[in-house]
Amino acid sequence: MDYFVDILLIALSASIINNFIFYYFVGICPFVGVSKKVDMAFGMGCAVTFVMSIAAFLSWGITVFVLIPGAPVSAFIAGFFTTPEAAAQIDLTVLSYIVYIFAIASSVQFVEMYVKKFFPPLYRSFGVFLPLITTNCAILFACLTIMSHVAGVDNPKEVWDLGKAMTLALFGGLGFTIAIVIMAGIREELELCDIPKPFEGAAITLVIGGIIAIAFMGFTGVDSGVKKALKPVPHVSQVQEQPQRVALLNTKDCKGVIMP
Amino acid sequence: MADQPTATERFVQGILPENPVYRQLLGLCATLAVTNGMKPALTMAVCVAFVLVCANVVISLIRNLLKPHLRIVVFTLTIATFVTVADRVLAAYMFQMSKTLGPYIPLIIVNCLIICRCEVCASKQNVVIAAADALGQSIGFGLALASIAAIREILGTGMLMGFRVLPSFWPDWVIMVLPPGAFITLGLLLGLVNYIDFKREQTRN
Amino acid sequence: MSLKNSNLVQAWLVLLLATLFGTALAGIQAKLGPVIEANKVKETMAKIPVLVLGEDLSAELAADNQSLTIKSRVIDVKKNGITKFYTVYDVWLPEGKMVGHVVKADGQGYADKIELLVGLDAQGKHITGLFVLDQKETPGLGAKIMEDAWRGQFKEKSTEKTLSVVKGGGAKEDEIDAISGATISSRSVTGIVNTTVANVASQLQVTDNPASNSKTPAVQTEDPGKNKEHS
Repeated sequence: MDYFVDILLIALSASIINNFIFYYFVGICPFVGVSKKVDMAFGMGCAVTFVMSIAAFLSWGITVFVLIPGAPVSAFIAGFFTTPEAAAQIDLTVLSYIVYIFAIASSVQFVEMYVKKFFPPLYRSFGVFLPLITTNCAILFACLTIMSHVAGVDNPKEVWDLGKAMTLALFGGLGFTIAIVIMAGIREELELCDIPKPFEGAAITLVIGGIIAIAFMGFTGVDSGVKKALKPVPHVSQVQEQPQRVALLNTKDCKGVIMP
Repeated sequence: MADQPTATERFVQGILPENPVYRQLLGLCATLAVTNGMKPALTMAVCVAFVLVCANVVISLIRNLLKPHLRIVVFTLTIATFVTVADRVLAAYMFQMSKTLGPYIPLIIVNCLIICRCEVCASKQNVVIAAADALGQSIGFGLALASIAAIREILGTGMLMGFRVLPSFWPDWVIMVLPPGAFITLGLLLGLVNYIDFKREQTRN
Repeated sequence: MSLKNSNLVQAWLVLLLATLFGTALAGIQAKLGPVIEANKVKETMAKIPVLVLGEDLSAELAADNQSLTIKSRVIDVKKNGITKFYTVYDVWLPEGKMVGHVVKADGQGYADKIELLVGLDAQGKHITGLFVLDQKETPGLGAKIMEDAWRGQFKEKSTEKTLSVVKGGGAKEDEIDAISGATISSRSVTGIVNTTVANVASQLQVTDNPASNSKTPAVQTEDPGKNKEHS
């Protein structure tokens, strides 16, 4: 149950509350560049979600099995050269950025080849965006967020498993799609408007983006509300439900006053 | 010494006429995300400058050995290495700042500004020109970041780098230091730059 | 041009670059890694004297060139089948007298997770201080939880009562004044402090010799009656 609440919260947070575009500003380039037509924007959104899921899968796997201290693969390989204790200490997280960017770049290449060969209609609809996605910050950002929840977490219970990592990627991509489609819808209408000449193009897009971001700010705090509703009741109200405990607390309080 | 004038020219071009943010719309992610204060914005500008200059110089040095299809891979490898260096140095000597900037330092890897300069300039020109170009572009980027950060910080908190600039009765526009403020400030500044251009064109004709 | 067309040269170039960069990164990691680790530890450790002793006493101690003995351990509290971990730093004066504890706690805030350091006295009877390690609350509103004036309210509060949040000033003994415009952030922090105190305060022992305490195993409690889980 708790696990599903966690998943729900990650999904809500990634897609709407902390939207990749309106809250973290990642993926702004396609947001400004490819948001002129709704169908193109939707294609871009789908492509990003697709690549993001694959990249998240890869980067989660690489982080857990290779990069973090005590990861099985690196410990196994290092085991040939040093003692098992020393091998378990090997920390390759310094290489993480390089590894992630190559995981993204190669997955984009493979996805492009695969889609081109087996799903030509799909390739026609979003294939053109695939090479662009390699340098899309949203993908790398998703990988980095997953890393920050896997490596260097003190509390072993809070380390993300694959399910949580994939949820972040899928719903982060969904949030990106929502944002870029909303923007494209507005920009299609803007064609009919009389915009001051200096503001045409990127400038007006950014101002509108700001206004939508204000709207999205309204979602802040929804996640803590949902969490309170779904997870065990905090203990302030618990005390009110059980008056005998209040009495107990009061007697203790007296002692507390006397003691110092 | 025949290259010298072009190097200076590349340097000057990057600062205003080809400003990476206002003219080429490159590196918007970093521009929007770290400009809620002057200090993070300047730190970011310095990091980008370091990575850009180093990457441009390295790429320019090996440009004659590179086959076209390998070039993007080598660019990415070079940039990612220097970003990791910048990230580690920042974490070691400015820990608080590296916490504030968080994921935006590693995101320099996918900053289109750097890969674009490597592709357009460094893979074709010699080291001096590439370095000059990188310096000019980084100064341009830094100026753009500083201008946005100054507006957002002053209007949002009434302070700049810890000094009170606006009178204390100023009602802080908190929205300016929040995400929407970034979009709106950059949008309006972009419009303003275009407007000034537009006027100049008109007077010239 | 022949160089450019040879695949062998290309392959070697990429390999050479990778080795070069790899070595450079390894060197940097070897040199800076310990510094970064030290920074992470120092971030928490630097706050501990002020949290336990207060500004004046800790400044005095620093002026005397004396240092506190700080040991960390992890306490796990089990409730309703959920285990919650707390990192506890036990603090001793130079002469070996225990002065207090600092507990690292976290919980949901308005915008994202809030990480706190809660200072408690040696018996765990009073809160001696509060510090916000990490938060992403709204700047200008919720972010005021970082300010001394608000955090200072937690000082000297008894840990035996549940703290409650009141609006509009006039906070009494076991009440915390909410930040205007940021009641949820104020409630979140107070809630985290309450839960932490309820879970941890009873687990703290006074031991006046730092050496003996290090062997104490992590304390566990089973308390199905209370529902204080928040994460």
